[in-house]
Amino acid sequence: MLRRAPRRTRRIGGGRQAAVAYALLAPSLVGVLGFLLAPVVIVLVLSLFDWKLLSTPEFVGLANYQRLFTDSDVWHSLLVTVYYVVICVPGTTILSLLLALLVDRKLRGMKYFRALLVIPWMATPVALGLVWSWIFDPGRGALNQFLGVFGIDGPAWLSSPVLAMPSVAAVHIWQFAGYNMLFFLAGLQNIPRSLREASSLDGASPVAHFFTITLPLLRPTMLFVLITNVIGSFQAFDTIFVMTEGGPGDSTEVATYLIYDEAFRKFDFGYASTISVLLFAVVLIATISQFVYFERRTTYEVSG
Amino acid sequence: MRLRIFTYAVLVAGCLFAIFPYFLTVLTAFKGPGQLSETMPWEPGLPPSTAAFERLFNSGFGGYLVNTALVTAGITLGQVVFAILAAYAFARLSFPGRDALFWVYLSTLMVPPVVTMIPLYLMMQKLGLVDTWAGLMLPTMLGTPYAIFLLRQFFRGIPADLEDAARIDGAGRVRTLLSIVLPLSKPILVTVTTLAVVANWNSFLWPLIITSSEDKRLLSVGIALFKGEIGVDYNAVMAGSLIALAPLLVLFIVFQRFIVRSVAVTGLK
Repeated sequence: MLRRAPRRTRRIGGGRQAAVAYALLAPSLVGVLGFLLAPVVIVLVLSLFDWKLLSTPEFVGLANYQRLFTDSDVWHSLLVTVYYVVICVPGTTILSLLLALLVDRKLRGMKYFRALLVIPWMATPVALGLVWSWIFDPGRGALNQFLGVFGIDGPAWLSSPVLAMPSVAAVHIWQFAGYNMLFFLAGLQNIPRSLREASSLDGASPVAHFFTITLPLLRPTMLFVLITNVIGSFQAFDTIFVMTEGGPGDSTEVATYLIYDEAFRKFDFGYASTISVLLFAVVLIATISQFVYFERRTTYEVSG
Repeated sequence: MRLRIFTYAVLVAGCLFAIFPYFLTVLTAFKGPGQLSETMPWEPGLPPSTAAFERLFNSGFGGYLVNTALVTAGITLGQVVFAILAAYAFARLSFPGRDALFWVYLSTLMVPPVVTMIPLYLMMQKLGLVDTWAGLMLPTMLGTPYAIFLLRQFFRGIPADLEDAARIDGAGRVRTLLSIVLPLSKPILVTVTTLAVVANWNSFLWPLIITSSEDKRLLSVGIALFKGEIGVDYNAVMAGSLIALAPLLVLFIVFQRFIVRSVAVTGLK
């Protein structure tokens, strides 16, 4: 990914060039080191303190972590988060791949279909959450009124502990399937023409061709889509905030929501930081294990 | 031929599914209170009523809209400009610690924003910036690592000879950047700007935490607090959502061609 700078630029004047470089970098250094990296260090430190609003921070060592491991609310919310991720990631990935295969064909008006499918990605999640809450409204909502036309008595989607999570996850899939389709589309169009058309010669069925040739060649795209979606859905907050507020009960109380609740409603900054560290660790492990899994199976050039 | 009809049928169904919530939002936003219960969600209310919008704008919604537009513009401008400067340094200049520093930038891509929320809030508190415009904008406006990464990759693809020629003619680094590099980088600039506008316009958690006074409220926070403040007044809720959704939708329709092409660029090569 990183190549050495061409030697000759170095000769032009090392010291001056470094000064220019750091001047250009200065704002982003403040941003990246000060507002991204430093907070990670601070959150680690805070997780070792007992600190509620107005009280003086008190160093408590690993006491917050001890509390964490026996706190059933935390484990429940972690489980709920994983449940959300497990619905959203495969749902979004498979749907976006199918859409990409569909819009990869050369047909009239295809670019308009592509554009329409991407629109939900831009929607403000909070606004979208409200729109979908209304669609899911058991009495006057569009979904149940629509089902009513066929004589079906629709359930109370968002106030049922069983249906609330799949409903909220469905909104995530609806929002991001079209967007991720674009990555798969780019991946498909990068496949050499000779490989795309080989199947018609060797007589393999389109399905067999997809699984033996297309899918393996899409691995780099697959890795990108999976990783960005896993990271994204572990952090779900906005739509859940307006659709269910973590409820009913605690059935949609994802980790982000719990952190927000502990920190900015109960003002327990120390413990909220501890939960943040846990979430960060989980996201990191999930990301790295995907890299390792794919690394073992593909060799490709990541560099540009 | 049968296959083509099948493809079109699925595509039309998919697109309808993608945009029907927008239709329902528009229809509902323009219904009066009575029409809401008298009509089906997919039927228009006749004659259209703008009562919901009037109610919203009387309760300060216009201010949220202006705030959101200005904050989005400000943060986006900062992000794009500072990312260009940083990306150019990484792509073209050699300086001690460059590669290590670039890896540090890249590694912060894995930091979930929610993890940084509490420390950022406390930092802003220390700086006395809670519930200020500066506190709202400062943490994200100095350049995002993702934008820097995308721009650096693109800048490296521009032949260095073009710049060398200009530099031999006596142009400085900044002049070369402005007159040679940026004009060649339009596609990636569209990409980076689009991603920034969408993210900043839609941003919710940080504004929710850092601002509390109504004169600094953003649209996303305004409509989220709706439910509590005006109850289940679906006309107003849909009208408010429409106000939040419409600007990006218009932007998308105008720049649709560029956006669809440019988003795909951001995937790994």
